[in-house]
Amino acid sequence: MDILKTKDLKKYYKTGNSKIIVKALDGVDLSIQRGEFISITGTSGSGKTTLLHMLGGLDTPTSGNVYVDGKDISQMDKDELAIFRRRKIGFVFQDYNLLPLMNVYENIVLPVRLDGIRPDKTFIDKIINALGLKEKKYFMPDELSGGQQQRVALARALATKPAIILADEPTGNLDSRTSLDVLGLIKTCATQFSQTIVMITHNEEIAQMAGRIIRLEDGRIYGGDSAL
Amino acid sequence: MMKINNKPVINELAIATYKANKKRNLLMIFAIFLSTFLITSIISIGTSYWKITMKRQLYATGMDYDIALTEPEDAQIKKARSMKEIKYAGLLVKCAVIEKYQQKSLDKARLYWADDTCFNKIVMPALESYSGSYPVKENELLLSTRLLNNMGIKKPYNGMKLKLSYFTLEAGTREKTIEKEFTLCGWYTDYTGQNKGYVSEEFYKQTNVKPTDFTQGSLKIQLKQPLYSEKDIISIQNQLNLSGRQIIEADTDIISYFIKIILGLAGILFMVFASNYLFIYNTLYISVIKDTRYYGQLKTIGMTSVQLKKLVNKQAFWNELIGIPAGLIAAVILSKIIIPEILSIISYSFDEKNIVSLNIWTILIAGIFAIAVNKSSSHKPAKLAAQCSPTEALGYIGFSKKQRNRKRERAGIFSMAMQNIFRNKKQAFVIFLSFITAVSVYFCAAVYIRANDARYILNETMNFDIRFLNETTLEEEKTIFTKEKIQQLEKITGVKSVRAITSAEMVVPYQEKTFGKYFKELYSTRYFPASSYKADIEEYKKNPENGLFTSRFIGIGEEDFKYLNNSLGNILDKDDFLAGKTAIVVRSFTQGDSDMTGKTMYFRLPSSLTPKKEYTVKIAAVTGLLSNPAHFSGGLAPEIIVSEKFAKKLLGETYIEIVYVEYKEPYNKEIEEAALSVFNGINEISSESRLRNYEEMKPTETKSKVLGTSISIIMALLAILNYLNTMVSNVQSRSKEIATLESIGMSSKQAKQMLGTEGVDYAIISVVISLAADIPLSYAVFNAINLYVGVSYSISWGRIIIFFAIIIIICITIPILIYQKTQNTDLAIRLRL
Repeated sequence: MDILKTKDLKKYYKTGNSKIIVKALDGVDLSIQRGEFISITGTSGSGKTTLLHMLGGLDTPTSGNVYVDGKDISQMDKDELAIFRRRKIGFVFQDYNLLPLMNVYENIVLPVRLDGIRPDKTFIDKIINALGLKEKKYFMPDELSGGQQQRVALARALATKPAIILADEPTGNLDSRTSLDVLGLIKTCATQFSQTIVMITHNEEIAQMAGRIIRLEDGRIYGGDSAL
Repeated sequence: MMKINNKPVINELAIATYKANKKRNLLMIFAIFLSTFLITSIISIGTSYWKITMKRQLYATGMDYDIALTEPEDAQIKKARSMKEIKYAGLLVKCAVIEKYQQKSLDKARLYWADDTCFNKIVMPALESYSGSYPVKENELLLSTRLLNNMGIKKPYNGMKLKLSYFTLEAGTREKTIEKEFTLCGWYTDYTGQNKGYVSEEFYKQTNVKPTDFTQGSLKIQLKQPLYSEKDIISIQNQLNLSGRQIIEADTDIISYFIKIILGLAGILFMVFASNYLFIYNTLYISVIKDTRYYGQLKTIGMTSVQLKKLVNKQAFWNELIGIPAGLIAAVILSKIIIPEILSIISYSFDEKNIVSLNIWTILIAGIFAIAVNKSSSHKPAKLAAQCSPTEALGYIGFSKKQRNRKRERAGIFSMAMQNIFRNKKQAFVIFLSFITAVSVYFCAAVYIRANDARYILNETMNFDIRFLNETTLEEEKTIFTKEKIQQLEKITGVKSVRAITSAEMVVPYQEKTFGKYFKELYSTRYFPASSYKADIEEYKKNPENGLFTSRFIGIGEEDFKYLNNSLGNILDKDDFLAGKTAIVVRSFTQGDSDMTGKTMYFRLPSSLTPKKEYTVKIAAVTGLLSNPAHFSGGLAPEIIVSEKFAKKLLGETYIEIVYVEYKEPYNKEIEEAALSVFNGINEISSESRLRNYEEMKPTETKSKVLGTSISIIMALLAILNYLNTMVSNVQSRSKEIATLESIGMSSKQAKQMLGTEGVDYAIISVVISLAADIPLSYAVFNAINLYVGVSYSISWGRIIIFFAIIIIICITIPILIYQKTQNTDLAIRLRL
């Protein structure tokens, strides 16, 4: 069953004061099934990040639709999208986007708290242990290395038990060894918690770790399998 | 070393940075504009407000002089006028007292003669309004509007004929009433509340009163240096060669009083400047801090610290170039157009265009201040940006790294809000400091403005709305205030209470133990020659009924007892007083209680049922003339105040000297007219009313109200805009963080909740600290600069509560509004920033 589906998805921008229209996404049709691990690759400016933002409801399309679990999220308002994100999506950003004033634990449980739910301590500890953050539970983000910070970001993405994890160059700021560690963890967690993973990367080697690769060029799908 | 010409590139970069940060620069310009505008307005309006309060104080004294020489001789007058310390010396002689106008009794309506210097230089500056001219002909009079009013003349005109009964104050003669027709040649208003007038030189000469007559003549002196010490007075005294009972009336505390005022004003001004400084510093600091990463990037590509400083300073300079002139222009518009316009709308008679004194100096000071503040407040952040290492700058996240709480497991919206406030402790400190300073300035200004409010002054200094005085007291003692009249007054709708003060003649035989010290002290004052003490007291012992030593037996009700007891510090036992066991003694001319308190005295009441019987009473306290609810004095023996119940017991029927009326709604014209109508056609009474006093003060009151309110609004604006600007910068600088929160599922409602909570926390912390600091602070300021005797420190809670409520509402709504306005772009874009 499709957990994620896009239909003729378009995102056009006007740049600065010029009247040139940039077609960030130009009619993307995509189908992703539950439990899949997909990587989206492409050159810089190919529309990868825009597509990921559309899938996660961070950005609104110019036209077309995004369906998550059969629901069209392109029709949702700002607050519906926020609730949708915290329940269905877990984001992992290239530069981690951790909140500097909160310690590791607080960063991880924040999306759960935002949903007005008491964090399931056993589950959170399970994630923390799985990601090797036990010793760093009360550290502040700036006291952690890049790899550790990315693991915290991943733990935060997993905390609400989302159906989908969207990862934007999750290893972009990490060295190759740490990158492999983090990716291994993403994969393990996804299997463990039966989640769908969509990952952006421009690194071919890393892309190969996914079950399916989608290639984007000039806002269109050029290679890989857009639908199974 | 070769000189590198990098000016063009710095310029280009500065222009590019400046253009790229339009929103932020607009905010900066707005801050500079506001700060310049506020400081200019506060200086100009504050000065004008101060001038008006000083003027009002001058009008209340009725004359503008520093010291006075009593009973001056010709030689002394000549000498005074030639002395280098003295600017003006004007002669004033009290020469007659008007008793009646068309059979209407008048209270203490004194006529003075003032020489040219006295009238033009001493009297004129202290008159609120003046029409006509000084009397020249023998029968001409210049009267105060208060006196004319009490004569029943509402619309005086030049040449008006006035038939008056008066007596002269010629020394050694008995009061002989003369009937004469005078011509009105002018009238004036001051705030002395006195029935007073001026006569021509010719009339004065005819009265035979001499400047040297005891208590009649006075040389009013304006010094070149109005701040004088006791030493200066002694020096003047020596030069003028005082003799007999002459004294120089002077306030030797004037320097310490002046220093107190200056310190109080300097304190307020310092706070105004400080809150302004912090306001700009805050905005600049936050904006530069926000750019720390950017400056770090520039450093990584090779920009030097000096170049960075130049970059920051250049942008600050461009902001100043727009903000400062705009602020100055806005202040001129407010002071010269808006405030006069408001005044002319409110006050029908207002025609003064230069009510707000805004001169080139004010503009210059404000301009220089704004430049200085900008320079110094941009200096520190620029230095910070220039000094930090590129890597540090790139990793800058804007909070104090010292803050650690390892075991914390909160992460709720409310705890997040609190953390955000204190994320950068130094910044939080500066924000709170500026906010609290601005609130404090508002608080102090509110206390000061209240203390100068005419109604407040009158309420504090008068415990009645209208007072009717039986002018026949001490003479035929006609019963005017009958039971029926009192009932008529009480029946008027809107009358809250009617209080009668009774009095009767009292004979106090000489009592060495109780009054010995008092009489000795009395005869050591200048009013009673020590030389005649022995003979006078001998005569008194022999014949206590002698008019010189008789006194008044005053009866008061519970309400007046409450006022009196309050003025004495609530030391009296009410039951003892009401039961007639104790009495209060009224002293005149002496200081202190002369050891009378606690002693027992005896007296006789000639008008009682048993005129020969001696009664005794214990003296519970001694009070001054100002607290005496009765008006007339008897002889030299001190008056006593007892309960009306006790007075009735001894006298049977009591004679009412004064009636005080209080209204449910003070200053109500209709009630006043109804009260006055009760005594229509009765000429032997005079009245004094709070409403009349207020109406006299009204022209300056309107001005001072508008100016005072303007200052309050500006102060409040300063506090609020300070917060507004801080919050705008704050929310903008946290744009990415808020976007991150939204990306992980924070709804806009939750974001607003978080920012709103921050606002509430800001408001509550500020209000609580302000309240704790401002009550003692404003009390100190009030004590330093209060001008009125009898006006106590008071907080206008209504105004303060409204202000705090506005602050809290603004603190909650502003961050939410800013969030809605600034964080409305796509989340994806904000995340990329």
